[in-house]
Amino acid sequence: MGVLDYFKSIPAMTAEEVRQFITEKHPDDYNLVDVRQPREYEIDHIPGANLIPMAELKDRLDEIDPGKPTIVY
Amino acid sequence: MRSRSATNLLLGAGLKNVYTMEGGIRAWKGMVAYGLPEAGMAYFSPATDAEEVVGLAWALEEGSKLFYQGVADHFKLDKETREIFSWLVSAEKNHEKHLLETYESMTGSKPDFEKLRTRFSDGLSGSFMEGGVAVQEALDWVKGKGVSQSLELAMAMEVNAFDLYIKMSRAIEDPKAQKIFKKLSEEEQVHLEKLADLLDTKI
Repeated sequence: MGVLDYFKSIPAMTAEEVRQFITEKHPDDYNLVDVRQPREYEIDHIPGANLIPMAELKDRLDEIDPGKPTIVY
Repeated sequence: MRSRSATNLLLGAGLKNVYTMEGGIRAWKGMVAYGLPEAGMAYFSPATDAEEVVGLAWALEEGSKLFYQGVADHFKLDKETREIFSWLVSAEKNHEKHLLETYESMTGSKPDFEKLRTRFSDGLSGSFMEGGVAVQEALDWVKGKGVSQSLELAMAMEVNAFDLYIKMSRAIEDPKAQKIFKKLSEEEQVHLEKLADLLDTKI
């Protein structure tokens, strides 16, 4: 990934929007991905989140259902 | 920053509808679960038999039931609190029933309760409840605390149970067991909401 990629606008949701989204939807209707390190996940994570540390993401794309919206934190 | 990069990577891989959560977990003011997925996952990697997964879930429900009963007894003078914890006891009993039915339909035999108990905990006093907390430890903790702190502990347990059941439903291959874990996760969510409602009236 190039430096310029950081300047592209990335689709985002506020934490409040995410909370509302999760409350209204069934856990099967979206992917919720925690890309932090296992140690961070251990301390706290959003319930139901799938832990895929950033460094492993590109090798574990098959764990994310492309047919569903995805929230990353 | 990590989640922005991750979002970018996923969009680049062709996924649609990907969003980064602004501010990350620090901006999240909702419920959190704790513990590594492996903590529970060790019991239910796809290689592990469904029987064992259901057995583990049953043992955790059993622990939660003991805890809720203990809390209900401890706060017996507070009608509302006693009632909600007694209600949770019956809810967890119901979960146990679902799990046993699943166990029976999967294995064609009745589970050996003693074997299940000793496999995942060592005797009643050493029982663990949802969230992986030792029951006796939690009950000792409650003795020195008020209603609202006990409700908060119960909520933390329910959040972890919800988290665990969602993961179990994803990890297990048996479709019937998958369905039951989804149902259980939905019910733990309802428990959580009830506890939160009561907590609102206590603070």
